[in-house]
Amino acid sequence: MKTIIFIVLASIGLAFSLSGAVGILRMPDLYSRIQCSSKTVTMGALPALVALVVGEGIDSSYASRALLVAVLLLVVNPAASHALARAAYKSGVPMWQGAVRDEVVERKEQQKAKERARRPDDGGGEG
Amino acid sequence: MSTSLYGVIALVETAIGLLLMARLAIGPTISDRIVALNTLSTQATLAVLFFAAFADRAIYLDVALWLASFSYLGAIVWARYLERGLL
Repeated sequence: MKTIIFIVLASIGLAFSLSGAVGILRMPDLYSRIQCSSKTVTMGALPALVALVVGEGIDSSYASRALLVAVLLLVVNPAASHALARAAYKSGVPMWQGAVRDEVVERKEQQKAKERARRPDDGGGEG
Repeated sequence: MSTSLYGVIALVETAIGLLLMARLAIGPTISDRIVALNTLSTQATLAVLFFAAFADRAIYLDVALWLASFSYLGAIVWARYLERGLL
């Protein structure tokens, strides 16, 4: 029973790690690759670590370190992915040609349009 | 639990790491390389953990813990460098 649970969890983890790696190789643009990379941790690393806990038993030294690593990965990986994506966007890494929308640019244009609509009224009121 | 299963999992994680090394080599921008390196360090952490269970050496667990914490610190430092141009 323990072996079956171990094998199922480990193969889920390995399958998702493999698909994430293939995605990082094959995806056309950086932002899609970042998405694949964070999927590798959430669905790839965590089931493998839980499999190690199941295989070694919850009261072994392996299990405690594996749980510590799992918590660490779960907390820090989204922050690192977010910081990387933000830095890449700000340093001007291009999006894929087929990308549908860029919400940062849209929001900036909306703000500019709002300011443009507001400014003549303020100027007229003061003048 | 047979320990050879642990060895097989560590080997598969290493093979996945080799796939990521291709992206690390060909990545057109530096950000691509950082993403590949980040994922590669996660796979290395898993491989070290499973190798520790395979070889029955608890001392390797600290290596995995160190890798998991410091690789993300490295990624965040690289991101700051890309964003502001200084560390």
